[in-house]
This record gives sequence, C-alpha cells and structure tokens, in this order.
Amino acid sequence: MFFRITSAIILVTSLVMSAPAITLGDELSRRVIKHEFKNGLVLLMVERHTSPTISFNITYKAGSVNEQTGITGIAHLYEHMAFKGTEKVGTKNYKLEKPALDEMEKVFFQLKSERALGDRGDSVKIEKLEEALDVLEKKGESFAIPNEIGEIYGRNGAVGFNASTGKDMTQYVVSLPSNRLSLWIALESDRMTHPVLREFYKEKQVVLEERRLRYENSPGGKLYEALLRTAFWVHPYGLPGIGWTQDVQSLSASQTKEFFKTYYGINNIVIAIVGDIHPDQVIAEMAKTFGQISAPSLPPPVSLVEPLQEGERRVHIEYDANPILEMAFHKPGIGDPDQMIFDMIDSLLSDGRTSRMYKHLVTQKQIALTVGTDSATPGEKYPNLFVISAAPRAPHSPGELEKAIDEELNLLKKEPVTPSEFQKMINQFDGYLVRSLESNSGLASQLAYYEAVAGDWKYILKLRQEMEKVKPEDIIRVARKYFVDKNKIVATLSKPDVTVKAP
Amino acid sequence: MKFPPLDFHPPKGERLVLPNGMILYLLEDHELPLINISATIQTGSFYEPADQIGLASLTGALMRTGGAGDKTGDEIDEILENLSASISTGIGGDSGYASLNVLTRDINKGFDLFADVLMSPRFSEEKLEILKNQEIENIRRKNDNPSPIAGREFAKLLYGAETPYAREATLETVSRIKRQDCVDFYSRYFHPDAMILGITGDFKKEEMVQKIANKFNGWKKRTEPLPSLKPIPVEFKPSVSQIEKALTQSYIRIGHLGVKQSNPDYYALSIMNDILGGQTFSSRLFKEVRTQKGLAYSVGSALNPGNMEVGTFFAYCQTMSKNTVKAISAIKENIKKMQETPVTPEELQLAKDSFLNSFIFSFTTPSQIVSRQIYLEYYHLPEDYMEQFRNEVSKVTAEDILRVAKKYLHPDGLTLLVVGDPDKFDQPLSVFGPVHTLPLSSN
Repeated sequence: MFFRITSAIILVTSLVMSAPAITLGDELSRRVIKHEFKNGLVLLMVERHTSPTISFNITYKAGSVNEQTGITGIAHLYEHMAFKGTEKVGTKNYKLEKPALDEMEKVFFQLKSERALGDRGDSVKIEKLEEALDVLEKKGESFAIPNEIGEIYGRNGAVGFNASTGKDMTQYVVSLPSNRLSLWIALESDRMTHPVLREFYKEKQVVLEERRLRYENSPGGKLYEALLRTAFWVHPYGLPGIGWTQDVQSLSASQTKEFFKTYYGINNIVIAIVGDIHPDQVIAEMAKTFGQISAPSLPPPVSLVEPLQEGERRVHIEYDANPILEMAFHKPGIGDPDQMIFDMIDSLLSDGRTSRMYKHLVTQKQIALTVGTDSATPGEKYPNLFVISAAPRAPHSPGELEKAIDEELNLLKKEPVTPSEFQKMINQFDGYLVRSLESNSGLASQLAYYEAVAGDWKYILKLRQEMEKVKPEDIIRVARKYFVDKNKIVATLSKPDVTVKAP
Repeated sequence: MKFPPLDFHPPKGERLVLPNGMILYLLEDHELPLINISATIQTGSFYEPADQIGLASLTGALMRTGGAGDKTGDEIDEILENLSASISTGIGGDSGYASLNVLTRDINKGFDLFADVLMSPRFSEEKLEILKNQEIENIRRKNDNPSPIAGREFAKLLYGAETPYAREATLETVSRIKRQDCVDFYSRYFHPDAMILGITGDFKKEEMVQKIANKFNGWKKRTEPLPSLKPIPVEFKPSVSQIEKALTQSYIRIGHLGVKQSNPDYYALSIMNDILGGQTFSSRLFKEVRTQKGLAYSVGSALNPGNMEVGTFFAYCQTMSKNTVKAISAIKENIKKMQETPVTPEELQLAKDSFLNSFIFSFTTPSQIVSRQIYLEYYHLPEDYMEQFRNEVSKVTAEDILRVAKKYLHPDGLTLLVVGDPDKFDQPLSVFGPVHTLPLSSN
C-alpha cells in the first residue's frame, strides 16, 4: 500500500512566526542532525523528549519505478516478504528450511515454464508440479514461525509497524518505547542483510487479494490504474505498483531476491529517527551494525523517458458506480523550477473551502460533489502528472464538469493571481510547516522522503524560500505551457449506458 | 533482549468548572506555537426524529459553513484560511464537537470566531441547500464501494434497521429538513452546561480561563436534559444474509452484539479479542486466514464496546469469491475455539506485553491526554479508567479469557453477511443456514 506524500504538506518550524521566511529554516536546520556513514547510509535525526517514544523510518530509494512489464509488482511483493523474517528470525531451523525453499524454486520454475506454453502446456504435468509445490510449501512452512518479527515488535510495545511501496521509494516504519532503540537496531540491520523469502507463494495470493480490494472492486482504484496506463506509454510510472495479476503469479522468490540485491543496498537508503533519542548514542550503536554493512554497486538508473504526447488521450471505464473523472497533464519532476509552481497551483485550486475549484465548482455552480488536485502523480522523481480528480453531482455529467475544470485552468492562463491569493498560500504553507512537527512519525517520514527523492531534506526549506519569489507571470507561463489539449489525458468511469449497448 | 519497564508519568489536564456550568480541561505545552481547543457537546443523531434522519449531521455542518455572529460563512472561510487556522464542527451518533486549531499569534481572532460558531450560528438558508444537495449526492453514491455497504447493512442486522444505531438518511428524510429544524435542534442542545472544552498548547492558563469565561458568560443554560433512548433488545439468533453485487471478492462480516465499555469483563474480553483477531500480525485470524491460507489481505476481529448501548463483536475479511465459504468456515471455527480451549501461555503473554508496553503511546501528545480525560467524563467512566485498565490487563489469566469467551461469544448465534457475487462462491451460503438475500437499498 502507499499514499503519496502530498507535496504541499511539508515540515519546518519557527517559534517566531511573524518573520517566517528568515527563521523557518533556522529552527529545523538547527534540530535536524545528518550523519553519513562510510558505506553511504544517510541518517537523519531529530531529538525530541516530549514522550519516551521513538519513530523510525527506513526509506529505500527504490520502488515500483524500477520495474518493467513482466516483473510489475515485484517491489511491493518484496515489501510483503520483508515481514517474513531472516535467517535468524521467523524460523525454527534455517539449515533445514533452506533446502526446502531452494527445492520449491526449482519446481516453481518448471511450473512457470509449462504454464507459459498456454494451451500447448501439458495439463497433467502442471497438476503434478502444483501438487509437488504444495507439498514443498508445507514442508517449508513446518520450519517457519509465522510473523515472528511482528510478534517481537508487538511484545515490545511497537505501534504502527508497517511499510509502503511508492513509485520512487519504499518506506518501513515503526514506533517504539524509547528504551527499545537497540532492539530496533538489531532487528532492522538483520532484516536488511539476511532476509529470507519464506511463505512466498501464499503471500502472492495475499497480494492478489490486495489487488482485488484496492483496484478491481474499487471504482477509484480502477480509474486511477487506467489513467496511468493511458498517460505513460513508455515510462514505468504507467505500470501498476501492485502489479498485473499475471506478473505477480509468475514472479519467483529468487527473482524477487535478485531485485532486492540490486536495489536495496545500504548506499541506497535514508534512515530517519525522531523522538526521545541521544544522537551520539544512536550514531555509535548504528556504526557497529548498519555501519558495518558493505555497500554494493549502485543500482542501474531508470533510463526510459516518456516521449512527448502528441494529442489528447481519453479512456473510459464501464463499472457499476456513479461517475468519476480524472484529468491529467504531463509535467516535469522534482528539481525542475516549474515543479514548485505546480505545487502553488495545486494549493490555489483545491486547498480548502476558499480555493478556486472548491468555491466555483462545489459551492457556487454545485456541479461537483468533490474536487481535488495533485501536483505530482504518481511519483515525483521523474516527469509526472498534474491531476485533477472530481465527482459530478447529478444530474450534471462528467462532460459538463470537464468543461468547468477547463475554464478554471484557462483562467490561470489569462488573469494574474492576486496578491492576497499569494499571501494566503504562503500563510497556509507556514501553518503546515509548524503542524508537521507535531508527530514524530510524520516528521520522520517527511525528512526521509525529501532526502530520498529530492536528494536533500533541505529541499523543503528551499521550496519555502522560492515560493516567495514566484511572480504572477510565472503561473500564467506555466499554465499556458502545460494546460493544453495536446498534453491532456482524460479518464472517466460510469455505469454502462444501456441505451447504447451493442445487441 | 530484555528491557525494564519505562518509568513515565504523563502530565494531566487540569479540570475547572465555570459558573455557567461549562467544564474545562487545560494542559499547557509550549513546544510549538499552536493552540487547540475542542468542545464536546451533549447531543447526537440518536436524538433526531425518525422522519428527519440527517438533521443532526446537517445542523453540525451548517454551524461551520452557514456563518456566525456578524460574519457570513464565506467570510469565516476567508479569515481562517488566511490565518492557516481551522474550525470544524459536526454531530455524530451520541455527541457533537467543535474544534479550533490556530497559531498562537492568531488566538484572539480564532477564538472569537470559534465562540461565535458555538453561540450564534446563522444557519444560512443558501448554505443549507448546498449541504442538502451534497448529502443527497452522497446517498446516491452509497453503493459504489462494497465496504461501506457491508458496514452499514451489518449494523442494521445487529441493531435493527429502525434503531438510532443503524438507521440512515434517505433522499426523503434529507429533502424534508428545513432551516428552522436546524435552528430548533441547535437551540435544544447547545448550552454551556452541556459542553466540555479541552484546551491544549501554547497558552497561559489564567489568561485563557479568563478569555473563555468572559466570552461564554452570558450564554443561557439548557432547560431540558437529553431525551432517553429505547433500550436495544439483545438476542443471539443465527442468521445468514447476502447482498448481490458483481464483485471479484466477497466482503464478509460475521458477529453479534457485544458489551458496554463499563462492563468489568471488558478488560479480559479485549485481550481475548487481541488474540483472536485484534492484533495485526500475531492474531489467530491473521495467522491462519492470511498468512497460512493466503485467503485475504485484510482479516481480523473487532470488539467495539458501546458507550450507551451494547457495542458489537465481529470478524471481517475480504476474499476472492471462490474462497468465500472456506474463509467463513475458518473464521467460525476460530470463534468457536475461543470458548472451547484456553489460550496458550505464549499467546496470553504476547497479548498482555503488547498492550502494556505500548501503553505510553496513549499519552504522546497533550491533546490526546486531554481528549481522553474528556471522553471518560462524557461517558461517566472513572477518572482513573486507563490506570485501572492497565492493572486489570496485567492480571488477566487464560481462565479469565475462557470464562469471558464462554459468557460473551455466541458461535451458535452469529449474524453473517456477505456482499458479493453468489454465483461465484465455492459453495452456496446455505451451508450455514437459510439464506436471506437482502435488497441493496438505493434511496
């Protein structure tokens, strides 16, 4: 699972709010401690003694953007497998367990080859192999201690033990009572170096249930998948992070482990720790564990580039649900100066009741039930999409709503944003910054995210400074450049229209 | 690895009562320049007339959007959003709330608006129309996603479709609501002596108490108490129901009515539920249905204690259509097993340790601490409820769990509901008893 971190919700604090531009960064710059280990591991810490708890966040700079057709879903599947334990945890006897797991891989490979023949495959052979796999699975399971890692954390008072796979990164999170620091260090350094992909084939079934839950039986999920597929023809941002059903079915444990070896090296990680800690002690303890992990060569970069869209694209889904609509436009990723302008447009259009689209479409014209925008879908590291999602209010149609949204976008191209609108955006941003410090886990997540995706957690401080320099003309320029029909993708979902159904 | 218990004494909010009957809980915290004020109000949709379902929730929402004091709703929106502050209001089943979150520097402006929203909402006709139209659209869309269907219809099966605990707004009941109805509902329930305020954050206590007292001083006390509600007849008759929808997964709920929060057996029951299906990674249902059988992504059980009436106990999962009966059978067996054999010492220890060691997370922020103090007072639970809970949990034995499982679980009186595509089930649900196919109400 993964929810993208909205680019507008960012941290930083200032105890002197009247002059935010100058002091915002100072406060957080003073409190965030960055330490880089020799092997390339980056550690960010914020010491905060409000309660005797610590929030931990491990962010790998790898996610489903590192996949291709054929192995879609592999990053997310690995995330599930990372809860299955290691050579020490989750097993009664790894020495005896390993041969069973290895044998399973051989049988699965034969099964996969036979299944790949489709209709020409030998059904008797397939059945026999399936039975053999089943027997081996049971043998493997007889050595496993299910969910032991979760139990150890649970017993020690953990809350929020979870993980999420995004396009650009994968996060593993947990919060613990502060006297359990060394437990976290021991468990996570082990999980990072000696994972064992046990109960692999059962877990693929669980992932397929997750796919059914989030995408097959959810109108929103269905439409989102179609939107990405339509927008990206080449770049992996167009592939489903949860994976195509057939891909998930055909993934093997060894393939998944190989993916782990390639992308999850110690030099491709950011760790953020926030709470009741003493940074020197954390660094010293981590140096003995994480610090000793040797760095592999860095993973291959994502080299695919989405070609320029050459005309408006549309996709429509028939499904038993009331209409919903998504509109999208291609745009650059993080690091491009225009990204920040899109963050501001995002806020201007849909942040709060006084935002333009909420005011005009939801309360004044009342043609929409909901409207939202996002300035970096489905990831932020590579060129991505500005997306407007909306639900029409009956009897208004998705078509009407689309027209009204177009009008709002056109307005951006013509009329300069007013000074009071600008000031409001900046004030709201400052408010977010202060509030983001309220929770340890939220702060850890934000720090790790920007360090991993933008290359430096201080990106958020820069963003705040740059926002003040933006001119109304910049917004007009960006709107004129990107919000054009040629660059537009429209995805709609509605009930099948019985009157036009083919006989 | 072994760790000593943490020695931690969380701060507590101070309780005060103003002459007008309003109760305050205050806890200062100067780390961030923010102030948070919340009001908990004695009201709720449980008290709205049967032909105006939706009135409470519309009234709650309209207090915020419909303007207050000398300002229109739009003016309030503008002021708050320019300050990066927020006020929200709402009315749920058995309580109403209003809250203010504001930067310290803007407390005076924010507090004045907050007090106006509580004491002199304008209930604009135009904003009511907008809210009604939105509510009608939500009703139109209520069957688009399967999970809410399962939740809503299951509550009707347990409590009865017409009871305040399960009934729902319809196009008809919402269309009927007029501005005056909101005004009347508000006037009846919003009074200083029906309200508890929680104030946390960057303020000075004396100043804040003075500010609140001055503002709410002249507000009239209520004249009538909360009406009483009809008690729910508690029965445990088995039933099997399905709702047909073209889906690739079945959305399963299975359970029965439960207990009140004040029940002295709730401690042991809550640990029992953790072992059965409440703990994320280590419960029996998670281990068996998800990890070992690979039948579901989301599976577990919930024991929701009731504050006024009995609550619910149920297990849930979503599974591919052709595994429906298989998954239900596994869940049913696990419920039955809870009252047949004692939990193992390891299971018990794990559940107790998890609870006791994560206890400090209930006190990580001042607003969390004060909210709980208010909750306990609002529902007439003892002030030291949390401490009691912790002590009682540490004493729970396997025999206690077996005893409460026998007393409060009714494996022969389970209500089963499946939302899905019966043509694709592995076996018809009739293997569990006579099947009622319920209509998917669409108004």
